[in-house]
Amino acid sequence: MKLYRPATVVIGVIFVLLGGLTRLGEPEQVFDKQDRVVTSGTIGEELEYGDSKLTITRMRFVKSFQADESDDKMVQTKGIFVAIEYDAVRGGKDPGTNSVMLRADGGSVYEPVTEVIGDSVSFPEPGFAQTGAFVFEVNPADVTGLTFYLKRTQFFNSLAQDLSIDLAVPSEEIAQRSIDGAADEYVMPDETTRVAE
Amino acid sequence: MESLDDVIDAMIADRVIHRHRRKWLIALAVVVVLAVVIWLTGGWKEHKGRSVPTLTAPVTVEAGRFEFGFTSAKIIRKPKGEYSKAETRLEVYLDIKNIDDEEQTSTYMSGGLLKLVVGGGEDPIDSNGATCHDELGYVFVYGLPSESCSAKFEVPVDFDAKEVEIGVMGEQYDAASELTGATDDKYWGAETAISVVRLPTTIETEEK
Repeated sequence: MKLYRPATVVIGVIFVLLGGLTRLGEPEQVFDKQDRVVTSGTIGEELEYGDSKLTITRMRFVKSFQADESDDKMVQTKGIFVAIEYDAVRGGKDPGTNSVMLRADGGSVYEPVTEVIGDSVSFPEPGFAQTGAFVFEVNPADVTGLTFYLKRTQFFNSLAQDLSIDLAVPSEEIAQRSIDGAADEYVMPDETTRVAE
Repeated sequence: MESLDDVIDAMIADRVIHRHRRKWLIALAVVVVLAVVIWLTGGWKEHKGRSVPTLTAPVTVEAGRFEFGFTSAKIIRKPKGEYSKAETRLEVYLDIKNIDDEEQTSTYMSGGLLKLVVGGGEDPIDSNGATCHDELGYVFVYGLPSESCSAKFEVPVDFDAKEVEIGVMGEQYDAASELTGATDDKYWGAETAISVVRLPTTIETEEK
């Protein structure tokens, strides 16, 4: 005798598909703070990220920038730009994907500007090191305590490591002095890759 | 060896399954056919009258984490080229400011926040997002003054209107529904209609 006729199987399949459909209604990104470990450091310090390493080598306030040398468009702002240069050494394990942002004491969160393609630290193949740069457009009234924050992208609830790097803008006075002394122009350096020592 | 009991059980089970089989199959087929018919005829839409205010440009609208200052609109016709089709687009010019007091985060404007109201029961057309300083998907910084931008809408080639209506959507800062139980953290989402802005248009034909 046959208990599982095609119609029965079809109904079963429909229920499975319905179950899948309900998942489409769930929010796209779910982040839970309990499963994040934040490693803190300062500019110039080499920080361990899994078995990879990241150093923020340079930070500058600039009034305008050029996305690359061949581009003749200088990007202007009503605020101020912060240029960040990094050096990433890749270890054996996959460092995964990440997104970067700047955070300030006033609560502002800044994302990389549109003209710069890519808003994450790109780690090269194992055994290599890479340099790169970001430009952030920021509000000059909220730059005290500026921190570079690297957030690992998570799809599953596993323990993820984030990096928080202090960019040495401890007070409003120092912030103002840095902004007054901002360079007029900045040309974004090309990414370079080398063999890691 | 199969016992007689097993054989009788199997026969009874067979009968029970077969008893209303045709009715069930017909009922199922009716449901499927209904679903297909509704799907093909454009879904189950409830048509309500406009429940948001209609404003006339120039006007400033606060919607979710953005403030939109509408200025003007232009219909741009691109004539047929030797290798390209004729195209028409609508460009709306507006000043956009990030007013996200909740998260104070830099963000770009997603295209779905501005919709061209076509009318006549047709679906509205989404914009392609905000283009400022020649950059599509411009990132707006919280705390900085507004930027002048444009939003583009792909319209049919013969599109013509003295006045266009742009629907402004605003996101809500809220947590996901408790039913899904995903998280208590609030986030920007769930766009709802805030207002409709009327803009007079000018027509421009692009040189080849």
